[in-house]
Amino acid sequence: MADNPQAQARPARPLSPHLTIYHWAPTMLVSITHRVTGVGLSVGMLVLAWWLVAISNGPDGYQGFYNLVGSPIGLLAMFGFTWALAFHTLNGIRHLAFDLGYGFKKETARLSALLVIGLSLLVAAAIFALVWTGHAGYLG
Amino acid sequence: MVEFTLPKNSKVKKGKVWSETSGKKPKRSKDFKVYRYDPSTGENPQVDVYTVDLDSCGPMVLDALIKIKNEIDPTLSFRRSCREGICGSCAMNVGGTNTLACTKAITDISGAVAVYPLPHMPVVKDLVPDLTNFYAQHASVKPYLQTTSAEPESEWKQSPEERAKLDGLYECILCACCSTSCPSYWWNSERYLGPAALLQSYRWLVDTRDEAVGERLDDLEDPFSLYRCHTIMNCANTCPKGLNPAEAIGEIKQMMVKRKA
Amino acid sequence: MQTPLHKVKGMGSSHSGTGHFWHERVSSVALIPLTLWFGYAVLGLVNASEVTAISFLAHPVNAILMAAFVIITLYHIKLGMQVIIDDYVHAAGAKIALLLLVRFAVIATGAACLFALLRIASL
Repeated sequence: MADNPQAQARPARPLSPHLTIYHWAPTMLVSITHRVTGVGLSVGMLVLAWWLVAISNGPDGYQGFYNLVGSPIGLLAMFGFTWALAFHTLNGIRHLAFDLGYGFKKETARLSALLVIGLSLLVAAAIFALVWTGHAGYLG
Repeated sequence: MVEFTLPKNSKVKKGKVWSETSGKKPKRSKDFKVYRYDPSTGENPQVDVYTVDLDSCGPMVLDALIKIKNEIDPTLSFRRSCREGICGSCAMNVGGTNTLACTKAITDISGAVAVYPLPHMPVVKDLVPDLTNFYAQHASVKPYLQTTSAEPESEWKQSPEERAKLDGLYECILCACCSTSCPSYWWNSERYLGPAALLQSYRWLVDTRDEAVGERLDDLEDPFSLYRCHTIMNCANTCPKGLNPAEAIGEIKQMMVKRKA
Repeated sequence: MQTPLHKVKGMGSSHSGTGHFWHERVSSVALIPLTLWFGYAVLGLVNASEVTAISFLAHPVNAILMAAFVIITLYHIKLGMQVIIDDYVHAAGAKIALLLLVRFAVIATGAACLFALLRIASL
């Protein structure tokens, strides 16, 4: 290497394109979504902590929390957390199946990925439909 | 932090549009958008467009590349050898997925055919990536039989059933399509062994003649070497030989858990 | 000048990783029923009065289930965040800082939740 006269003159090799050119299969999409929903749900954990602390703090804190969650942005966030929890749970089950050696066939993995996307949206929509039609709050 | 975008010297510029030399317009033609990088100029890579007459071209993407090199632009560089999917030389990214140019039919791709080198690799020239690290990773898993028992007089015996366990593993041609399709490998190619090397590792882990299973697992017992695999499945989706590295890695993870239980 | 094999082998295997993998799976299995219960509880408490929420969460079974959900979720978060940091953050300083931040945040959140649950139970 040292006696190669071209060694010094050669510019650093470029890195070939990756994320920007690679075809997005459903499996790849679901994989990164699992990660994103995981991070989102970690933020959701902070909201849960806030809720518990608000309840323990007495009427004022509790009402403040509910006003915020009931606002349009709050509701949007709640829908986001609901969907993220449904997605992460369903795709988590999909990954547990992988870990047991099931579902590795290309077509199976693709279908299970699509199934997780569809089911998670359905579950989130169903839960919000329950809230809107007044079927939630059954513990009160 | 990992760089999700290309470094400055790697950003791809617009390149040259090469017009057909023969003069008359072909009846059936296809545009090929090909990644070009010339180390002698030091310029950034670019994408050149070539129009290929499909009526005077073979059916595969490799045929088109050879035609471009012979008839339009002799400076185009790519690796190729067997042109029948057994040597693994012409692995590249065609139409967004990694494959062998020699077994990928041109008509399988709708619209212009984008041809890039294998993703997230140092580029030597045009479609030729530097595979040094990839080969070293393969070597690091000791892809050969390891024994301590006395050498048998004839051969190491294996039943047909035991031999069948190697099916779907031994066929790997080390083309690097899988490893360079894996986002996890993109971000951690220095420490994650990648699907190809791990599939080969598993090929020896399940070989009933091998006597170094424990040592092999010891070497893989690491958050980076093995556990960067998040079952994204790009490897299985892209393998031009129809193998399933993700499944093999899953089996290795199961072995890891089993030997602790 | 390093040989390619020297680079690939680096400092060798750390002889760990399976523990993390296993704990992530165990916590995820535990979280499946707990998540179903959590969904049932939260949906049931939508628009509930403070009194209802307190009486629900003060019940021993619910308090224990909520505590389990919180603790196991936070443990799962800690393991998952470690994977993300390992994937994307390579600079030693930033990596250690982030790992510490995740640990502290998880412990602080857990402490706040458990303290709140105890307070609710004693209201």
